[in-house]
Amino acid sequence: MQFGIFSVGDVTPDPTTGRAPTEHERIKAMVAIAEKAEEVGLDVFATGEHHNPPFVPSSPTTMLGYVAARTERLVLSTATTLITTNDPVKIAEDFAMLQHLADGRVDLTMGRGNTGPVYPWFGKDIRDGIPLAVENYALLHRLWREDVVDWEGRHRTPLQSFTSAPRPLDGVPPFVWHGSIRSPEIAEQAAYYGDGFFHNNIFWPAEHTRRLVELYRRRFEHYGHGSADQAIVGLGGQVFMRRNSQDAVREFRPYFDNAPVYGHGPSMEEFTAETPLTVGSPQQVIERTLSFREYAGDYQRQLFLMDHAGLPLKTVLEQLDLLGEEVVPVLRREFGIGRPAHVPDAPTHASLLAARRTAAATAAATAEKEGAR
Amino acid sequence: MTGTRTLAVVSAGLGQPSSTRLLADRLAAATADALRERGSGVVVEPVELRDHAHELTDNLLTGFPAAPLREVIETVTGADGLIAVTPLFNASYSGLFKTFFDVLEKDALEGRPVLAGATGGTARHSLALDHAVRPLLAYLRATVVPTAVYAASEDWGSADGSNALAGRVARAGAELAALIAGGAPAVRADPYEDPTPFEQLLASGGA
Repeated sequence: MQFGIFSVGDVTPDPTTGRAPTEHERIKAMVAIAEKAEEVGLDVFATGEHHNPPFVPSSPTTMLGYVAARTERLVLSTATTLITTNDPVKIAEDFAMLQHLADGRVDLTMGRGNTGPVYPWFGKDIRDGIPLAVENYALLHRLWREDVVDWEGRHRTPLQSFTSAPRPLDGVPPFVWHGSIRSPEIAEQAAYYGDGFFHNNIFWPAEHTRRLVELYRRRFEHYGHGSADQAIVGLGGQVFMRRNSQDAVREFRPYFDNAPVYGHGPSMEEFTAETPLTVGSPQQVIERTLSFREYAGDYQRQLFLMDHAGLPLKTVLEQLDLLGEEVVPVLRREFGIGRPAHVPDAPTHASLLAARRTAAATAAATAEKEGAR
Repeated sequence: MTGTRTLAVVSAGLGQPSSTRLLADRLAAATADALRERGSGVVVEPVELRDHAHELTDNLLTGFPAAPLREVIETVTGADGLIAVTPLFNASYSGLFKTFFDVLEKDALEGRPVLAGATGGTARHSLALDHAVRPLLAYLRATVVPTAVYAASEDWGSADGSNALAGRVARAGAELAALIAGGAPAVRADPYEDPTPFEQLLASGGA
């Protein structure tokens, strides 16, 4: 199972000091956080994509390419890549390039975005959110798998004899996850392609996660990609830890009370009861995270949101130390217990390449047998 | 049609006791009586929005209803009929009343029989029911019965007024009962159980 972090990339004033980082500081902090993730033994770093203040990560492959050069093992991903407003041709090119530079340590998560005004900035209409996600991804899927593409759709100019370059590394397209909080169409899309399904699983009650993951698993099996418990599921999570849980509660409360997403609404106690947010000791985080399996089944990827609501970089790095040293090693062990052998790990470039070679060898052997007859 | 029908009764009154709740209860009783006359059983589910005022604000901010409010929303959107009663503040429904309808899914009350009621200090505000509450329910594509019931302070006081109010309550209750009894029980499609197959999404351009 993979463990990692995802960043929204928000520039939020620290409510305890009133100070907001500059964009430059925030961008460099995201890189420092990504490097720290590798240092403490995490597997994945994913960046958001936003095109409006107070968010900085408008250019994910630029950032991930830089992080790739400064890391050795970390899988670089997105949370999410806007399949609605980005040109699928540019996504195909950007991520194939990143894949080469990072020697395959790349996957990505498709999302529709949640900011209405972004659509017209890129010449799109928010009412076409789902149709754009469906059509654009269908094209992206072909661009990475077919060397020459003829294509015509409703949302971009037609393509004739088009080749997206560079071709994916080793002929293996980056693995794709589809992220959604509440849209059955997106779970259906992930299932149809046999791609991964990522549920943000933060800010909302677990019931939404359970229903969408169940739907995705059922339909994954329906489309013939394997049994329902072999579907590739990723979950978000959000934690704040100190060794003593009361310290965590005291320190995090002003950040919770003023956070852009839930601030000035429910109390921290109400919100932690209703959603997967956990504020407490590493042991509490371990127990809460292990409970995700009760409604999502044995899953493949767990990403945590750690740098948000104005938390200073120093605090975030301390959180990552706790996560890497005290939480994730236990989670790796505990999630492994009782996990059926036929439940796969999250696909990586290496595993997809191996599967491709096995399939090619099997096909060659079959052809030889047919030829000998 | 016989069988047991559920009737949700939403009151946005703030006082204890509240004249809004009083009107809501009388409308519920009239509707239940009329349903029983038609041979239907009826279960009345009263909802006091005041009890959920914090959760409603939280829902606006977080985008989801906390567990107690979630139960209320399921009760209301799963009922065969709805009585919705608000006090009139500054010539319209109260903010609390509107917030409740703001957090419902846009199709949650589609085709649902609804009876609207309101209370106010004087009869001069009675048209607010038809100018504010009725368009809100029409937007949600609910089926609103023709009689909306307004009760001013004077309606609770004089013997004459009280009788006039009783007549309006009985007429509105009968109208709602007729709609509920004439319709099929409320059933809502579950997109998580029956997703649109992907081939269909692809073929239709995803729309």
